[in-house]
Amino acid sequence: MKAFVAFDKLPLFLCAGLLAACNTISTYDQAAYEHATSAKVDALAVMDKATGSYSEHQGKIEALNLTLQKAYEYDKGRPLNQITIALWDKLLNPSGDLLGGFLREWKEDGPMLPKYVANKKDQVAQAFDIIIGLESGKIKPSQAGSKP
Amino acid sequence: MANIDWHGIETQTATLAETLLKGYAKEATTDARAFQARAQQQIAEWLEELANKEITQKNFASLVRGERDLAEMRALKQAGLAQVALDTFTSGFMEIVLNAALAALP
Repeated sequence: MKAFVAFDKLPLFLCAGLLAACNTISTYDQAAYEHATSAKVDALAVMDKATGSYSEHQGKIEALNLTLQKAYEYDKGRPLNQITIALWDKLLNPSGDLLGGFLREWKEDGPMLPKYVANKKDQVAQAFDIIIGLESGKIKPSQAGSKP
Repeated sequence: MANIDWHGIETQTATLAETLLKGYAKEATTDARAFQARAQQQIAEWLEELANKEITQKNFASLVRGERDLAEMRALKQAGLAQVALDTFTSGFMEIVLNAALAALP
């Protein structure tokens, strides 16, 4: 009779095994975290220059775009990472109103008012913090599969 | 045949769920409230800056739309953290069941 009860519970063991094998989001990645924190520092430094002309700082802007592209492509190549990619898309969208939109606006409209630059820097910093916060909130690979 | 402690599994699973999922829900609520309060305060400040001509109307509109983008990003982040909580629960549940099974082996 006991053997019957144990077989009856077999699906629970199978479910436990299957569920554990099915992560729904990527684990923490140190390189992705560093890409994002480094890009944040570079982006805010370039934004500081936006009270001056775009062409004067074009070299730094291009270097920033390269840094951002590297961070984006790195995250894009990670499995189960769609949410982080959606966050980068929001931040970098040239038609949006965060970093991508700010750089487009600077190029099209020229130098910006200091207060506006300060306010946008605050928003862009928050946006980076969201990406960084999600990454640091992910399960560390060393903890994956072990009891929290 | 092994005598597995099903009651123990149930109790530990309930504790795990309560700790992880309730903790996540509380954090998400606190985060949303803090964001709302901050956004309200910032919009009031931008209106004052607009009145003082420190920013233009176009700047003001972009800042408000930027807050909307940030709100969407926060929602995405919370969805991601909910997935993390679910994955953590799942792996914890598996470990509870496996430990109970191993402990019951003669």
